[in-house]
Order: sequence, then structure tokens, then C-alpha cells
Amino acid sequence: MTNETVTPWNKPRPNIDTDSEEFWEGLKRHELLLWTCKECNASYWPKSFCINHDNEPFAANCEWKASSGYGRIYSMNRHEYAFHAGFKEDVPYFYALVELDEGPVISSTIVGEQPTDPIRDIGRRVRIVFEDHPDAGFTLPRWELVSE
Amino acid sequence: MSERNRIAVVGLGEVHPPQGMSQRMSASEAARLAIADAGLQTSDIDGAIDLRRTGGGGDRASYSDTFTRFGGITNAQFYFTIGRGGALAGLATAAATGFLDRGLAKYVLCVAAVDDWSKAEESKKHGHRGMSHAEKEGYWGKALGDLRAASHHSWMAARHMAEYGTTSEQLGAISVAQRQWACLNPTARMYGRPITIEDHQSSPWVVEPYHRLDCSLISDGAIAFILTTEDRAKDLKQQPIYVSGQGFGEVNDGLWWEKKNLTHMAVPKARDLAFAQAGITLDDIDTAQLYDCFTGEVLLQLEDYGWAEKGGGGKFVASGATAPGGDGIPVNTGGGLLSNWHLGDAVGFAEAVTQLRGHAGERQVKDAKIALSTGHGGELVSPSMCSIHTTTILTAE
Repeated sequence: MTNETVTPWNKPRPNIDTDSEEFWEGLKRHELLLWTCKECNASYWPKSFCINHDNEPFAANCEWKASSGYGRIYSMNRHEYAFHAGFKEDVPYFYALVELDEGPVISSTIVGEQPTDPIRDIGRRVRIVFEDHPDAGFTLPRWELVSE
Repeated sequence: MSERNRIAVVGLGEVHPPQGMSQRMSASEAARLAIADAGLQTSDIDGAIDLRRTGGGGDRASYSDTFTRFGGITNAQFYFTIGRGGALAGLATAAATGFLDRGLAKYVLCVAAVDDWSKAEESKKHGHRGMSHAEKEGYWGKALGDLRAASHHSWMAARHMAEYGTTSEQLGAISVAQRQWACLNPTARMYGRPITIEDHQSSPWVVEPYHRLDCSLISDGAIAFILTTEDRAKDLKQQPIYVSGQGFGEVNDGLWWEKKNLTHMAVPKARDLAFAQAGITLDDIDTAQLYDCFTGEVLLQLEDYGWAEKGGGGKFVASGATAPGGDGIPVNTGGGLLSNWHLGDAVGFAEAVTQLRGHAGERQVKDAKIALSTGHGGELVSPSMCSIHTTTILTAE
């Protein structure tokens, strides 16, 4: 699913560096990439050395692989306060830490149907939504609730 | 530890500057006060450590911030910055210990300073709340709305609530207890402003499950302390307060992989090391200065140290066990970061020294001989860890 927005970007820009560049390129292609070990299939995010065994130089034993994009809310809160002026239209928003099925945890806000409560909805199943910002030059990951 | 030449805190200085004072002038003033408190001369100081919150995304030292120059500490043979988020005093003490033990310095001056309140006032003019908003290297989430510490620290409280049924009112009991302590501390920001659980509940949500009264203060100020060896400490003006044990923990030690990181802090190894060095058990501690950037951190530590069982912290605090006159453990007796002021773990460290010296006035914990001071800080957002925990046991004897 794609969530399109045309408003000019008036929020902090994401931090894209040499380690995360491929991850951000993946988002533009609507893929959620995880740094995955070719030897043992353990997944990491952000880019890391594998903890299960010795690594090749610069963790060359790992590669970026697309995640299923599914996970569960590990914890969540509801922002009632726009700490940055760019978020004044967005509050209140639910901000969730999601444990992906592959293991890593990634946080973002919930789009679409909103949770009813930041505590009670911990544990709910979610999947990735790609929010394109072509003018700003990036795609942001968001979460949406899925029913079970 | 007694067979060793222990390290002692011999001087303490704390300042709350008027609005608009620079960080370096506040640091220099706190240094001046600490030197006078110890009965030393400025020329006695031969080492200097600057406590900075860098790792937690806080301020970074710049070359112009070297307080030794502004404070006229001309005999300092070394100056460096140390710190990780709110973990400042514990790390500085450990670093200074190395220099003192090796004879590389005789009197090490440790100084922390913040001008967060002034910065936040400046930021308000641009329509923001809180401090600056530049995305930091390796930081995840500002573009998504992860803007301040409350954006992700509140996940800890939320997870604890989901897992153990902890309630917002129970977290409120922590705020209320610390405000009671602050009302006994004339220099606390919230002195003279008592609160109730109802006040906590009706204070606006900042990031639910955190109300405004679950969040720590934003402050301007500085704290300085001087460390030396036990043999030198005995000849100085103040009663020496000894660093009898220290330990450190990191959450990559199992917590992330076990997904415990939001309901536990990296306490066990830090605690066990520090307690063993000091030769104490939990029951020996007279007062605990627990790092309290939010109420949740206090709850977690009360459980991780063992005053309450895991999941039972809410009930423990709701009974008033940590408040003045409580039957548990006096916690954050100056009011803590929630109600006194905020300069990382330096606030609790200074309060521990004050209590052990017997200088705490109305809030004095009777016969306080052993104090715990903890620090906490570092990255939390990605990949969701809460990093360092520092344990320092300070003793009056």
C-alpha cells in the first residue's frame, strides 16, 4: 500500500548515511530491507556485525534482504504535544516500536485506522506502509494495523 | 576496599545561574565554589574533567567550552570530556580514579553545566518545544515524530504497564513522593509547590502514558566536585565522602536480544560489582539517588535493584515507600530531576554527598552513612536499547 502526500516537507529530515543509504533506497522501491546474515539468516537493523559467529571484514557475511514487513507492536505511545512546529497538524499521533517477524525492532507512527489506546493495543499485528515524499527525495516507513 | 587508598569527594559546588548565563561561566562558577568548599587553592587542581551528555544526543563540547581556561584553572595538566546521556558523575569518577590511583593527578575537578532552559526558551521563539532539532548522526525517528526523550522513553512505561498492569496513578506516586522531598529542599525548583496524585493525573499528556508531571525539568545550572585520594582527603576542610564501590552495565549484555530492554535496565552487573567492592547489601543503603529523567526509570530501578519484585514496583511506590517518612527507601531526596533540577546524574550524586555529610537540612535522612547514586543514558531509539547504567556507592566512613 502507498500513502501519498503532497505537503512540502517542514519537519526534520531523516538521517541518511553510508550505512543506511541502501536501506533508504529500498524504501523508495517499497522494500523494507534488513541486514541479514548469509550464514545463519539472523536479521539486523541497522547494519551490524552478526552476533552468532565470527564475521568477515566489515560484516561482508551479511547482505540487505527484504523483510516480510509484518510485525507486532512491542510498545507504543501517543504524542499529544508537537515538540517541533512541523508536527502541529499531526498531534495526537501514535508512535509504535514494532518487533518485526524477523526480529529487529523499528519505530514509526501508525497510519490509517488508529489504535484505541497506546497500552491496550500493544501486541497488535501491523504491517509496513511506504509513504513517498518524492519532492523531499525520500520514502518513510509507517505502520498500519492488520486484523488477525 | 578498605586496604586500598580510596577515592573521596572533598569539594562540592552547585549553581543555578540567572537567565542567559553561558554554560562555560556557570561551569567556572561551580568550579570556584567546589574549590572553596574543599578548602583548596585553584592552583591545587591538577586535573579537570568536563561532564557532557554527548552520547545521549545532548550537548557537545566545543573547543571554546574548556572551562579550565575560563575558570583560571591554570595548573590542570589534563582536561577531557566524558559522559553518556545522563551518565556523567559515575563515569567521571571512574575516570578520575585511574588518574589518582596512578599518581597522574592529586586533585581532579569534575564539572557539569547545562543551559537547556535558556536553549528551550530560544527554541520556543521558532515555534518548537524543547531544545534544538537537528537530526544527529545515527539517530532514527526525528522525521517520523520521535522528537524528544519522552518520544521513546515513554515506551518503557508503556511496556511495563502492558506487561505488569502498572498504572499511571502508580507512576504519579513517584512524582508526588519526589515533590514532597523537593518541598523540604529550599534550592529545589519546585520548592513550595506540593502536588497530589490528582494534580499528576490532570497535568496534560505530553506523550501518553507520560503526563507533564512524569517528565523531568529543563534547567540551567552547574555542578562541580573534586576528587582526591583518601590520604589527602583526611587533611581537608570537609568530611570526606568515599567512593566505596562502582559498577557499570550495558544493555547489549543480553537485554536487547531477550527483549527485556524496556522493562529492565542494565542494573545487575553494575549493582553486583559496586556492592561487592563496597561490601554491602541492598539493606545497608540509607538513601538512593536513582536516575529519574522520567518516572518510569525510577520504577524500573526500584525493581532491578531489588526493593520491589519485577512488576511490583507500582504497588511499592503507591504505598509511599520512597517518600519522606516512608518505610521503604528514601529516593531522590532533593527532589530529583523531576522536582529539583536537571543536570543528569550529577544532581543525584551531589545530593548523595550532601546527605552523607549531614548537610541536607529538613530533608536529611537520619544517620545516612551509605548512599547509592545511579546514572543512565545513551541511545534508546535504535535499535531500542537504553544503554549504560552506572552504580556508585558513596559512604560517609
